[in-house]
Amino acid sequence: MFYSTRSKLIASFLGVSFLVGAVSLLIGGQLLYKAVLSEATKRVRLDLNAAREIYLARINSVKVSLNITTLGFGFRSALRKYDDLELVTRLRRMAQHAELDFAGIVTGEDETLCRIGPNPVPNERHQTANPIANLAFEQGIPISGTVVLSNEFLSAESPELANQAKIQLLPSPKAAPRAEKEEPSGMALAAAIPVFEGDDLLGILYGGILLNRSQKIVDKVRDAVFQQEVYKGRSIGTATIFFNDLRISTNVSTLDGKRAIGTRVSKEVKDHVLEKGVTWTERAFVVNDWYITAYEPIEDIFGKRVGMLYVGILEAQYIDIVKKVLTVFVLITVAGMALAIGLGYILADKIMSPVHRLIKASQQVSEGNLSPEVGPLSKDEIGVLQNTFKDMIVSLQERDRRSRAESEDRLLQSEKQASIGRLAAGVAHEINNPLTGVLTFTHMLLRRKDIGDDIRSDLQTIAKATERVRRIVKGLLDFSRQTKLDREPTEINRLVRSTISLMENQALLKGVGIEFNPGKNLPMLTLDRSQFQSALLNLIINALDATETGGNVIVSTGITLSASDAGQKVVEIAIADTGCGIPPEDLDKLFDPFFSTKGIGQGTGLGLAVSFGIVQRHGGTIWVQSEVGSGSTFTIRLPLEGQRE
Amino acid sequence: MKIMVVDDEGIVLDSCRRVLEADGFQVLLVTSADKALAAIQDQEPALLLVDIKMPERDGMYLMREVKEKWPDIPIIVMSGYHTAETVKEAVKMGATTFIAKPFTPDELLETLRQVIQKKESPGN
Ligand SMILES: Nc1ncnc2c1ncn2[C@@H]1O[C@H](COP(=O)(O)OP(=O)(O)OP(=O)(O)O)[C@@H](O)[C@H]1O
Ligand SMILES: [Mg+2]
Repeated sequence: MFYSTRSKLIASFLGVSFLVGAVSLLIGGQLLYKAVLSEATKRVRLDLNAAREIYLARINSVKVSLNITTLGFGFRSALRKYDDLELVTRLRRMAQHAELDFAGIVTGEDETLCRIGPNPVPNERHQTANPIANLAFEQGIPISGTVVLSNEFLSAESPELANQAKIQLLPSPKAAPRAEKEEPSGMALAAAIPVFEGDDLLGILYGGILLNRSQKIVDKVRDAVFQQEVYKGRSIGTATIFFNDLRISTNVSTLDGKRAIGTRVSKEVKDHVLEKGVTWTERAFVVNDWYITAYEPIEDIFGKRVGMLYVGILEAQYIDIVKKVLTVFVLITVAGMALAIGLGYILADKIMSPVHRLIKASQQVSEGNLSPEVGPLSKDEIGVLQNTFKDMIVSLQERDRRSRAESEDRLLQSEKQASIGRLAAGVAHEINNPLTGVLTFTHMLLRRKDIGDDIRSDLQTIAKATERVRRIVKGLLDFSRQTKLDREPTEINRLVRSTISLMENQALLKGVGIEFNPGKNLPMLTLDRSQFQSALLNLIINALDATETGGNVIVSTGITLSASDAGQKVVEIAIADTGCGIPPEDLDKLFDPFFSTKGIGQGTGLGLAVSFGIVQRHGGTIWVQSEVGSGSTFTIRLPLEGQRE
Repeated sequence: MKIMVVDDEGIVLDSCRRVLEADGFQVLLVTSADKALAAIQDQEPALLLVDIKMPERDGMYLMREVKEKWPDIPIIVMSGYHTAETVKEAVKMGATTFIAKPFTPDELLETLRQVIQKKESPGN
């Protein structure tokens, strides 16, 4: 019982903490994931902006370096003179400084004067179309930006460049299908500056960087934006430049660790970014991992969407954060549950220990120890229980004390009676023989006719006194006889009624009313009828003796609860009179043999002693309540079950 | 009529003799059970008056012997200290009746008379 209370308490604590934990885990996990995702998305957008800035800055740097070159006096005079050797030297120096992949001067549409590269001064002026220089030529203003360059153009500039530009298309299952196996064109950052002398156009200086297979921009983005943050050996941030849907410059790796150049973006992204021209921010599977990604279109100098700029953050690190937090949640929940168990254990202990002590105490009580240790009083309901228990103990102790005192009294009384009985038996036996002689010879003398009246009177006195001795001895014998009970089932009301009828005449003579109130539904008792009747008779005679003419003696029977044995029922016989009553100082001696207040020769004082013995041998009790002047009540109680000998 | 009184107390024997002889009975006094048995053989009393409590062999023993050998002799049992049980047992042993000590001459004679009457009209 004790353990089940504890386990119930623990179970409910566990239930609550588990519920709270599970709910917070679910909802919190969800919220957290969303928050982390949106945070990551926000960041990737910012990163995309940063990447764009880097991209544009690179364009600008190309433009600036070209511009500075055109402003140089030597350059201008060389250009004026078409001193191609001088120009090529200057161009090479510029290209080296500005890290340009190609540079050159055109003098008209598709007319190349000179360029860096293996074939600096073409024999044939007319060359492959140079889209940016042409645009600058057309518009007469500096042009800079992204430009798509044909393989022929690149070959002309430098076969090496043309080679660098060529990219094999790798299989990309999600990408939009493309027929060709190779992308021959290149995408470049370039600028073209027209050089004027007054209103005359001297020529156009152009230059740029081929993006295909170039790593500088994307790695700069990665290093600048993500500051070389590494997650599990991998850079968390990646950047890519797409030519159309093709990765031409990237630091996204393929599974074998190479740069994923030649792979293509999914059709979905292409549709959004290249076709519709919107910025795309989404969780996406890039090459081999999930990324939070951002794509934006790259427009070339003609305002056509030719490629895309991409940055992505490895999702794993964010998922990891979520996982970590969730793990902490789980740990907290588990800790909460452990705490619940501990708390439940301690609380149950705290609540149950006084109860436990009470249980122990009541066990002790049931084993007969009436002063068990209840322990310190609790201030709660259990304290009330403890107090009630203590009260109960006190009343038990009180009852125990009373019944012990009662049985001690009874023991004392019966011991007294037993010893008096033994004495009486011995005395009686010794006295009766000589008494026979006294009686015999006195009566024989009285029979004689030849004696004087005075002698006769003396003899009569002797006879009377002897008679009295005889009566006393007889009483003593009656009292001392511990006769075995000869029990038989008896209807108690009938026995009482017949006893009363024996005394009715005497009561009538004395003018005392005698009444009987029989109780109903009394069970049969097994009694020694003649002994019990003599006890009743003694009590009724005493009552009549004590009551003056006009008084009443009322005998009643009934069934009631025992005073000493809880739950035991007893039959009660009460003999009440309206007589003189008994002074309190006599109450103690009442049942002693030879205690009598009746005149000499009237009472032997054995009636109550004998009655007491009889009732006692029936397992019953007898006691008296009395008030001087208003009467006395003698009450006999007989047990119903297990009547003792 | 010859009556045998058996008692270890002289005063009882004396009392009985005094009362019975005055009433015309022939009285035999014996102080023990063994002596009584021997005397019955010779004297053939018509009635026995026996005390229960005697030293050595008691009245119960005597009664048993008498009832065995002379079942026709009525026995009156005397006792100065008796209970319902002793009376019952005595009657079972074959005592005709019982008289408690002390008794007056009249009480003794009355008891005697009843027993004699009973003996003379058996079956009643
Ligand atoms: N109903 C009573 N009212 C008043 N006093 C009583 C009553 N019953 C008994 N007593 C007192 O108790 C005493 C003892 O009673 P008990 O019956 O033992 O002896 P007794 O009546 O005096 O003599 P015995 O009963 O031997 O003839 C009586 O003398 C009387 O004083
Ligand atoms: Mg009395």
